Amino acid sequence: MATHATKLTLGPILFHWPAERKRDFYARIADEAPIDTVYLGEVVCSKRAPFFDSWLPEVAAKLERAGKKVVFSTLALVMSEREIEAVRAMAEDSGFLVEANDISAVRLFAGRPHVIGPFVNVYNEGTLRYLARNGATRVVLSNELPAHSLAALAEAAGNVELEVQAFGRLPLALSARCYHARSRGLHKDSCQYVCADDLGGMPLKTLDEKPFFAVNGIQTLSYTVCNLVQELGALRDMTIGYVRLWPQAVDMVAVADVFRSVLDGKTEAREGEAILSRHVDFAPFSNGYFHGREGAAYAQ
Amino acid sequence: MAEPLELVCPAGAPAALRAAVDAGADVVYVGFRDQTNARNFPGLNFSRSELRDGLAYAHDRGTRVYVAINTLPEAGNPDPWHRAVDDAAALGCDALILADIGLLDYAASHHAGLRRHLSVQASASNVESIRFYQEAFGVQRVVLPRVLTVAEIAELNAQITVETEVFAFGGLCVMAEGRCALSSYATGQSPNVQGVCSPASHVRYERRGDEMVSHLGDYTINVFADGEPAGYPTLCKGRFVAAGRASYIFEEPTSLNVIDSIPDLMAAGVKALKIEGRQRGRAYVSQVVSAFRKAVDAAARGEPAPACDLGSVTEGQRNTTGAYAKDWR
Amino acid sequence: MTDNRHSSPPLSPVLFAGLVLRPLPPSLLQPLLGVAMNVMRERQPGLFERLDELAGNAFLIDPVDLPFCFVLKLDPRTPNLTCIRDAADAGTPTAVVRGPFLMLIDLLEGRIDGDAVFFSRDLTIEGDTEAVVTLRNAIDSGEIRVVEDLLSLLGPLSAPAQRLADAVGAVFRRATADLEAVRSAFVSPVRDKSDAQAVRIRKLEAELAEMRDDLRRLKNSARHRKQTELAET
Repeated sequence: MATHATKLTLGPILFHWPAERKRDFYARIADEAPIDTVYLGEVVCSKRAPFFDSWLPEVAAKLERAGKKVVFSTLALVMSEREIEAVRAMAEDSGFLVEANDISAVRLFAGRPHVIGPFVNVYNEGTLRYLARNGATRVVLSNELPAHSLAALAEAAGNVELEVQAFGRLPLALSARCYHARSRGLHKDSCQYVCADDLGGMPLKTLDEKPFFAVNGIQTLSYTVCNLVQELGALRDMTIGYVRLWPQAVDMVAVADVFRSVLDGKTEAREGEAILSRHVDFAPFSNGYFHGREGAAYAQ
Repeated sequence: MAEPLELVCPAGAPAALRAAVDAGADVVYVGFRDQTNARNFPGLNFSRSELRDGLAYAHDRGTRVYVAINTLPEAGNPDPWHRAVDDAAALGCDALILADIGLLDYAASHHAGLRRHLSVQASASNVESIRFYQEAFGVQRVVLPRVLTVAEIAELNAQITVETEVFAFGGLCVMAEGRCALSSYATGQSPNVQGVCSPASHVRYERRGDEMVSHLGDYTINVFADGEPAGYPTLCKGRFVAAGRASYIFEEPTSLNVIDSIPDLMAAGVKALKIEGRQRGRAYVSQVVSAFRKAVDAAARGEPAPACDLGSVTEGQRNTTGAYAKDWR
Repeated sequence: MTDNRHSSPPLSPVLFAGLVLRPLPPSLLQPLLGVAMNVMRERQPGLFERLDELAGNAFLIDPVDLPFCFVLKLDPRTPNLTCIRDAADAGTPTAVVRGPFLMLIDLLEGRIDGDAVFFSRDLTIEGDTEAVVTLRNAIDSGEIRVVEDLLSLLGPLSAPAQRLADAVGAVFRRATADLEAVRSAFVSPVRDKSDAQAVRIRKLEAELAEMRDDLRRLKNSARHRKQTELAET
């Protein structure tokens, strides 16, 4: 495999899976998945972090032993003093590469190499250039961007690596309010961690029963599963170097295998799509944003 | 007497600007008639010459004008945004309201002397984020996202040296602003780039018997029974089914109204109050600005807000104090 | 959260005007509409500039309390307003705007907020929403004074005439409130145009019938119980 080949990354787990499930998930990723970089950490809700924090050193060590690069991701919506303190602590602990998912982290990580996560808006060359001067070495681009914007950014990126979200339910919105709790008549402060009941988010349908979104605590995701397996060639031509898979409650090793195989030219994109559709049976695919359409659309 | 909070009022057209000035606005905020601002609605906003006239009308009466250029420039096409910044500066506006890092960088380097405010679209919700924008681009004021409680705002103000402006009335984003792709997921038009949420071009109302059904793109957003107050066809105020139960899972059709909390916001160290609604008519502007003028002045004198009824102009004919109260979460 | 819902909107006195005007053929109104449009074009050039992007569109304006409708055609050179008896004669308009006549005038003159009357359901729209929003924004950008503009054509008489118009307007508006009590008696002639009203009445009637049934059942069972008790003693 050539060293300049597109690299596969695994985004942080967005859902509130039980700690054991997460540990087993990463053990299998370490042993079996053709993934180059794994992002770890709680991105959605700080209330969930204590459940897995104590496992993180062990999981990170195992992934590194297996040859994966590990990046620690910050929370995406930082509000309380406690949450700010958590970001400050990550800035001081320089052992790992870190991903900034809020502007607070962009300030705290200034002057050292870091990744700009998909929850920080990078829509244009001006912003990209500023963040590169600030120390960013890689930028995960917003899922809203159409192909022509991705191409324009790739052209302007210089030494900054770019990463595009290519598989999984798409993060669409964040709120101070917890909708999982609200759906059960609870407040965020006394949420009883009801978000743990939905391993892939709670489907939200329209009044005429058309599936629309998936609720994940304070986060709203797409109902559809983004799938850019057929756009991998276009991404490579733009010189986008990193492709992100968001963990879903499916066989992610198999999903990673398909993406790797298509990237390496061993499997046709169309065939890859067919294999993926056998693994993802809970929702349809989408790739609308890439094609400049509504995000929910799927252009074949 | 304490210093009254600065009243920052919306205008989507010249007539609304005059209405806001006449009703006692300290500041009117406006946008150009293109995708450089987050209220890019058809037939709305200001041409360059309308802004020139509007600035003259406002400045003659001691009212300032801020120009919102608060969408994110499109990759490969920065010119409309750069031109908007240059023109607003050349016409003599009193501050720019910006959200994009690259555009803030541009404004700071090309128009260093012009005040820069951080738009709510930048969603700076904590002390470190605010310091970033202050240190990097000399931002003098931050419009706080609608996710913070009054207590959190007070805590924040104690730690920062920039002014803060908070939303006082009108439409209420329940998602972190500038970080919401719900509308683009359904329509392909993004508030961040095209400056429009739930674009009218994708909205359709349908009469179904005695019910009114609102659609956005291919999705049903709500069904209103006969006589039931309606709201905007925005996704976060839609009625959806979760686990077999239909509800306003994100937020009811409602408007923010903190007219009774002005003393609390003053005590929390807030500098300015912002009224949402550049898409609203001049009747709305007159009515809401007048009410808040009286309330802000009363609060400065230590008196309670005079009674006023803004119910009829609120979405769903209801109002809320939103995230300012902790139990909203 | 507070609930500010007010009661259903009063039926405007235009209803009575409507009843009176009923025999009047729309063609008699047409010259007046032509004059109104000419005056507006002259006084509000900015407004018509903003309407440019709607060129070619037609709007059906349907005052629900009048027995006729208006069609606003935004022809690029000569936008025109016509009065028709039957909404069905409007062809296929870009959009339909419905509401009580006085409210529509208030909207046109910027006295009330379009979104507010939409929230309260007094205003309903159908068809191309974007076109309606553009029209609304354009109208709101100007400062239209329909009555004032028309009266100004009368020349030197305009000041007293304005006072007269204001007085008439005030009486009209006051009457609106007073007439609330008797409006139901007059609803029937426009019931066909006011589906919502009809449905509300039907619902009330159904509820009333149900309550009557419940009452009858209660009475019957009470009587039955009493008879059983009497028989047992």
